[in-house]
Amino acid sequence: MATAQQSAAPTVRRGVQPLRAGEGSSFLWHKLHSLLGIVPIGAFLLEHLLSNFEALKGPIAYGAQVKFLNGLPLVRLLEWVFIFLPILYHACYGVWIWLRGKSNIIYYPWAGNWLYVAQRYTGLIAFAYILQHVIRQRFMGVMLPEHPYAAFHKVQVELSNPWMVAIYIVAMIAICWHFAYGVWLFAAKWGITTGATARKRFGYVCVALGLALAIMGLASIWAFVGPDYKNAPEDPARAVSLLVAPGAVFAPVTARIVSI
Amino acid sequence: MAAPRIIVVGGGLAGLAAVIKIAEAGGSVDLFSIVPVKRSHSVCAQGGINAAKNLKGEGDTTWKHFDDTVYGGDFLANQTPVKAMCEAAPAIIDLLDRMGVPFNRTPEGLLDFRRFGGTLYNRTAFAGATTGQQLLYALDEQVRRYESEGKVKKYEGWEFLSAVIDSKGVARGITALDLRTMELRSFAADAIILATGGIGAIFGKSTNSVVCTGSAQSAVFQQGVYYANGELVQVHPTTIPGEDKLRLMSESARGEGGRVWVPRTPGDKRPVKQIPESERFYFLEEWYPKYGNLVPRDIATRAIHKVVYENHMGIDGQPMVYLDLTHIDRATLDRKLGGILDIYEKFVGVDPHEEPMKIFPGMHYTMGGLWVDFNQMTNIPGVFAAGEAEYQYHGANRLGANSLLSCIYGGFISGPNALTYAKSLPAAEGDGGHTAELTRQSEINDRLLKNEGKENPFKLWRELGDTMTKHATVIRYNKGLKQADEKIVELLDRYNNVSLADRSQWANTSFAFARQLKNMLEISRVVVQGAILRDESRGAHYKPDFPERNDEKFLKTGKASFTGLADGPRFEYEEVDTQFITPRPRRYDAAS
Amino acid sequence: MATKTVTFEIKRQASPDAPAAWERFELEWRPGMNVTTAMMDIAANPVTADGQPTTPVTYDSNCLEEICGSCAMRINGKARMACSALVDNLEQPIRVEPLSKFPLVRDLQVDRSVLFENLKAVKAWIPIDGTYDLGSGPRVYPQQQEVNYPFSNCISCTCCMEVCPQFNEDTGFVGAATIAQVKLFNNHPTGKVLKEERLRALAGDGGIQECGFAQNCVEVCPKRIPLTNAISDVSRDVLLQKAKDFFAK
Repeated sequence: MATAQQSAAPTVRRGVQPLRAGEGSSFLWHKLHSLLGIVPIGAFLLEHLLSNFEALKGPIAYGAQVKFLNGLPLVRLLEWVFIFLPILYHACYGVWIWLRGKSNIIYYPWAGNWLYVAQRYTGLIAFAYILQHVIRQRFMGVMLPEHPYAAFHKVQVELSNPWMVAIYIVAMIAICWHFAYGVWLFAAKWGITTGATARKRFGYVCVALGLALAIMGLASIWAFVGPDYKNAPEDPARAVSLLVAPGAVFAPVTARIVSI
Repeated sequence: MAAPRIIVVGGGLAGLAAVIKIAEAGGSVDLFSIVPVKRSHSVCAQGGINAAKNLKGEGDTTWKHFDDTVYGGDFLANQTPVKAMCEAAPAIIDLLDRMGVPFNRTPEGLLDFRRFGGTLYNRTAFAGATTGQQLLYALDEQVRRYESEGKVKKYEGWEFLSAVIDSKGVARGITALDLRTMELRSFAADAIILATGGIGAIFGKSTNSVVCTGSAQSAVFQQGVYYANGELVQVHPTTIPGEDKLRLMSESARGEGGRVWVPRTPGDKRPVKQIPESERFYFLEEWYPKYGNLVPRDIATRAIHKVVYENHMGIDGQPMVYLDLTHIDRATLDRKLGGILDIYEKFVGVDPHEEPMKIFPGMHYTMGGLWVDFNQMTNIPGVFAAGEAEYQYHGANRLGANSLLSCIYGGFISGPNALTYAKSLPAAEGDGGHTAELTRQSEINDRLLKNEGKENPFKLWRELGDTMTKHATVIRYNKGLKQADEKIVELLDRYNNVSLADRSQWANTSFAFARQLKNMLEISRVVVQGAILRDESRGAHYKPDFPERNDEKFLKTGKASFTGLADGPRFEYEEVDTQFITPRPRRYDAAS
Repeated sequence: MATKTVTFEIKRQASPDAPAAWERFELEWRPGMNVTTAMMDIAANPVTADGQPTTPVTYDSNCLEEICGSCAMRINGKARMACSALVDNLEQPIRVEPLSKFPLVRDLQVDRSVLFENLKAVKAWIPIDGTYDLGSGPRVYPQQQEVNYPFSNCISCTCCMEVCPQFNEDTGFVGAATIAQVKLFNNHPTGKVLKEERLRALAGDGGIQECGFAQNCVEVCPKRIPLTNAISDVSRDVLLQKAKDFFAK
């Protein structure tokens, strides 16, 4: 029929595209990112902070903890599968998430929005910090798996630089923040805390968790830079066995070690 | 022969209801709407939808619903379609329920019902105070389902301009304007259904949405469709006065126990909550003891008018009265009326849980509309109409919560009838009039775009609104109506000098508005002249000079037809179908 | 006495590819005035504060009572409904811009059809057998109705999408409104039939996993819909569905 009826020229849709219902695999990668943040990364963080806490008991105890950890069966495999690779994935995918979000905090300065932004920046700090931390503490200098008792000294040397102390403090806070809020996010986004009140209550729990971890972590840093264990020997275990010369520089330290 | 193609214009309840029925029966539909259909004016309906389900043990029946509707409409409605609608209502509620409308429930999980104006029964199903929104969404979702199955094609952001009528006077499609690209196109169809809503915009400020201009009805009226009972316009008793519109405060507020009052002492200076019960004038309850606050809308509106303008008892001397809900507990109010109380608080800044609302009547609904037969077809073959755009179900006054019903019912009737009609339609000769109509429309467009003059269409519209509100709403005098008609003629003349501030060809809203305005002016004349001719008082149409109903002369449907002459439309009158209920005096003040 | 005026600054853009520019308007103040009233006043007298003639502003509006969802725009930086934006509650000059996340049509008008496409993608409807009389619907207890009703109040204004940092062209995130509708329909006794399909759809690219839980959606929602609750709830359902598909398929 000769009417003016005609189909409109197909137009390319501008702007955000509709949901690709059921297509693609980003769901899996996203959830993997989210899960890895809790286990094993979160679990490892707890372990690490607890281990660090041993530093408050001195170089020997700290070394013993390092030794214990390095004595676990298949430890090198565990280290890669449960620590390095998950962190690497979590971090890289996290950066990808960060790049794709468009923060609008200047227009909407609301609490949740601040936390959203903070989660991204704390994540970035954590990633940068962990990268250098692993390289410098795990793969450079004295190899701790072979020389666990050198751990305290190694960290202490690292923290002899005040800039490094500052970096450690900032990173410690950022990581604890990132983890604590990550736990909260996990509960919210995996449908555990589905109600607003539940999320609020669990928010308090996570604040407490984050604070506790941060305090623990900062206390551990203090153990390395504080006056108690100044100038720890590279091998405190040997230092103990050589405790024949009173008046040695390490006397106060070793005295404590002996008292353990 | 290819499957019939139906065009539905308007995506409110009536349009969507028609679309669903056609798609379900295997027809294919092109659905045109100015706004995305989910934003249609039906969304504004608040209180509920009537059906005599008799779930409250009151002995309600569809006959009583029918009787209340006919009586409420002062016997001007043809009884056959009204009876059929009331009989279909319970099944429509069931269907909506199945579609997922979140109706309020009784503890047993059944539909809850509340009372509305003009009845003594709890007959109104409701979803909070956003029933229209919920119903519209339910239909919108079903249409989206058909759309995703390819049975419906939506043209959202298109404005209907005219019907395409062939040399034999049969509709063959429509012309429409893409409001974004400003492209003018014609679309072929075997039948068209106009479900284009009310005409509130001719009153300037009303409870209607911006798109309710009546432009489409007026366009086909100017092409030869009768416009029936145009003078019958409902003014809702309780609206929130505003600068841009009058926001509806649902009748359900009174259905849930809201009371209308003014201080007995005019200009009482005490804070409202300190005025003791004995010094409050609950005028509806005193004047209409049987129905109380739930008299029909025309009655309540006139009562408020009387209190304000004759008794000079408006709050602080202003044209406002109290609608009081503060005696009802907060939880109940939130559960049953939350949506409307939010609106009041947002726009007025006062919490209606704590303080009585200040309200005043405002233009609300068009009882009149395109003339249709019992199959919902107008006098032009192939042009159907449904919903508020047609005149059929409400007589001289619509009862609250009957409009959602009539929209859906009208859509359900018109859809299948249009399909049946289309199936037996012989092929058009030539191009069915498409080229001619496109040419006519593009000439109108060109003239408007090029027109040089001093008139701004938006200013003309404001003048029209002021005139119509002043002369053609609650109280009507022939003298005032004649002044209004003269004013409209003046505006039509000045319309020829309209000059557009925007002559661009992209999303030009003033161009679209100017086209609507012309149609608004034409339909305004129908309203005003119809009112002049109806020398009686019936339902919402009230003339103090003719205070009684005159069945002998005016128990008739007025049908206006367009002449194009300076005198305006021509009127003829048609008998009303009163075969089931004999007209009786309509008195809500006495027990009847 | 000089009449009280209101100052508006409106971002104008004649077409999607035209340059944008701000125009300033001085309008007469009236009690209860809102942003849509101002637009109407400009249409009746399209002249800027400097006395330059201009065009009426193109914008979406319909009901003017915050129920149709048309008039979402950014007012003083924040996405909200223009009809309920009362001038007296706004800092002047009142700066009005179109939503930023949707393709611009003209001036303040944007194309928000992506939401309706998303609703199709998740089958946001109840699959009834037909519209003929099949008797009453399933029983729904008031407690259930009270859970579902708020979700059915969504006016498709897209404010929740506009303010979401994750809703953008890179993520293709579906947005809170659609997720809330999934919850609504999955909760319905008949709507449940499509529950698995909806959940699988939401696990697609741009699906629920893109939510960053910034919670702006729930802050901005003019209808106070518990959007974050819905996201949390549906997230779990999607996850369980995927797990079930993984282990049971």
